[in-house]
Amino acid sequence: MMRYETGGLDYRTARACHECDLLQYIPILKNREVARCQRCKALLKRRHVQSLDRSLAFALTGLILFVVANMFPLISLKALGVSQHGTLFSATVSLFDAEMSFLGMLMLFTTILFPLFSLCGTIYILTSIRINHYSHWIAPMFRFLRSTDAWGMLEIFLLALIVAAVKLVDITEVNIGVSLYAFLLLIGTLATLNLTLNPDDVWDHLRKHAK
Amino acid sequence: MITAREAGLISCDFCHSLNRSCIDESSSNLQMHCHVCGSGIHSRIPNSLSKTWALVIASLILYIPANMLPIMTVVLWGDGSPDNIMSGVLSLLYAGMWPLSLLIFVASIVIPIAKLLTLLGLLISVRRRSQWRPAERTQLYRITEFIGRWSMIDIFVIGILVALVKFGEVATVTPGVGALCFAAVVILTMIAAHSFDPRLIWDVIEEPTHE
Repeated sequence: MMRYETGGLDYRTARACHECDLLQYIPILKNREVARCQRCKALLKRRHVQSLDRSLAFALTGLILFVVANMFPLISLKALGVSQHGTLFSATVSLFDAEMSFLGMLMLFTTILFPLFSLCGTIYILTSIRINHYSHWIAPMFRFLRSTDAWGMLEIFLLALIVAAVKLVDITEVNIGVSLYAFLLLIGTLATLNLTLNPDDVWDHLRKHAK
Repeated sequence: MITAREAGLISCDFCHSLNRSCIDESSSNLQMHCHVCGSGIHSRIPNSLSKTWALVIASLILYIPANMLPIMTVVLWGDGSPDNIMSGVLSLLYAGMWPLSLLIFVASIVIPIAKLLTLLGLLISVRRRSQWRPAERTQLYRITEFIGRWSMIDIFVIGILVALVKFGEVATVTPGVGALCFAAVVILTMIAAHSFDPRLIWDVIEEPTHE
C-alpha cells in the first residue's frame, strides 16, 4: 500500500467525510456557517456560539413540557353522552390491550422512552460538561443518544394526531385537551434543541478531557 | 484527493476523530476502538451489502401482507369494516379530505416503495461497480435515510384511533395484522438504510487509479 504523509493532521481541521470517506481540511467556521464535503456535499460541520448552554436550556424546557404533555389528555371525544380521553400513553396501553404487544412496544419506545431518555441524557451530559465532571458514562451515553436519534418520533405522532382528529370530527365531537398545548410547544422545543445542539462541541469537550 | 482509507486512517462514525489503522482490516477479526469516544470503528461497515440485501428482501416480502391484510377494523353498531392501507387512503379521498388522503398515500405507499426501489438500485449499482453519478446517488441515499421514519404515521393513527374510539357496543377500532407487517416493513427499511454504507458508492471510483 502507498504511504501518505499524515503528519500534522489535526482533528480540528481535518475530517474524513462520513459519506464518501474523502479526507479534507475544514477551515475554522464562523457562527452559523456550515462546511460541506467538496465531493459529495454531505454536511460535515456546523458552528453555533454557545451551542451547549443553549441546548441545556432547551433540554430542561423540553423535559418540563414532556411531563406536562403526559399529565393531561391531548384530545377527547364525546359521543352519546360518553367522553373518551386520550393521553400520549393511552395509545401504547390500548395497543397492549388489543393484544398487539409488538405495536405497543413500538409506540412505547418511539413516543415515550426514546424522547424521555434523550432529554434526560442530554441534560446529564451537558450538565456534566458545564460543571467539569467527566464520568466514563458520558461517551457511551452520548453515542447511544446519537444512534437512537431517528427513533424518537413525537413529531410524527403529532401529525398522526391531526389525521386521527380530522377523521373523527365528522362522526363525533372532538375536543382539544389541555396537554395538547404543552405537546405543541414540546415539538417546537425538540426541533430547536436538535438544531442548536452541535454534537461536535460535545465531542470536542470529551476530546480535550481525554488528553 | 485521497480518502481516509487510502491514508491508513479510520474516521469514527460518532465523534469523527481520525484514528490510525494499525492492522489490515480485511484479514483480521480484531475490533478497533476510537481513541476518543471508545466506539467500535471500521473503515467500511462490515458486511454492509449482505446485511442490506437481507433486510431489503425481508421488507419486500412483508410489504405484500402489509398491503393485503387489514390494518384496522372499525366496528360501528356491530358492523365491522376492515380497512387496508389503500382503502384507508380511498375512504379519506371519498370523504373529501384530499390533503389528508394525499399525506397518507405519500407516507404509506409512495415512501416505502420509493425507499425499497432506491435501496435496491443502490445495492445493484454498487455490485455492478457502476461509476454513474456518485454524487447524485449519495444524495438519493441521504434523502432515503432521512425520510423513511415518516412512514410510521399510519401506525400512529391506528394507535390513536384504537385508544380513542372505545364506545362499547356502538363503535370500536381494533388493530389488524396488516399494521403489524407494515410496522415491520418501516422498521426493517430504516435499519436497511442505516446498514448501507454510502462510502461503497465512492470506492469503485477510486480503485482504477489505485491499481
